[in-house]
Amino acid sequence: MKKTVLLLLLTLNIYAAPKGGDQEVAFRLPKLFTPQTYLDSKKLHNKITLLNIWASWCSGCQAEMPLFVKLQQAFDKKTFEVILVNIDNNADNARDFLNNVDPQNILTALYDQKKKLPQAYQCPGMPTSILIDKQGKIVKIYVGSLDAKEMLTLQKTIISLVREK
Amino acid sequence: MYSIVTISLSIFLLSGCSQMLTRVMPYEKEYFAQEKMSLSPVAGRAEQEGHIFLIREASAGGESSFQGGCGCR
Repeated sequence: MKKTVLLLLLTLNIYAAPKGGDQEVAFRLPKLFTPQTYLDSKKLHNKITLLNIWASWCSGCQAEMPLFVKLQQAFDKKTFEVILVNIDNNADNARDFLNNVDPQNILTALYDQKKKLPQAYQCPGMPTSILIDKQGKIVKIYVGSLDAKEMLTLQKTIISLVREK
Repeated sequence: MYSIVTISLSIFLLSGCSQMLTRVMPYEKEYFAQEKMSLSPVAGRAEQEGHIFLIREASAGGESSFQGGCGCR
């Protein structure tokens, strides 16, 4: 009986979504503007990353995107990087949107056509942003669109993470 | 042997209750987000339609929730 309960608990644990303190989900995805080049999550270790899962059809994602451009401009990419993971069915929609919002290509954009990353994180809403530290551990998961005030708090958190050794 | 079968069966049945299998996840709602899927697909035309309705039916009001719905004003 004990074994059965233990096995059931383990099974339920497998289905649990990643949360703060857990290790990030490893990925290897093509870049949105240059699909022949891939980005591996291992290459992002030793810097703080904000993984933003978004789509061009999601109004909340559209609203927060200019704030991400400003956030990235406040930091050196060697210490902090915003990684956009787009899940549109048609990548052209995402490219058109980003060309308007971020014409200088400040943000790093990836394309996840099979939606494997939102599946792995079991995103309860769109957009979802995941703050990951230098060791690849999830610091916090933000569900929903971030406004200017929340972005300031996030910026302070990033600064404190950058200062940590 | 019996317990292994029972455990396997219960795991299979429990996984069927997973929300991943039973609900449309937010990242799968691209088609729902399209304009043509909204209840009033051409929102800009609603005013025109209201005007036409007023002429044709000779009645106005009752469109919004705070009114009585009688259309008498």
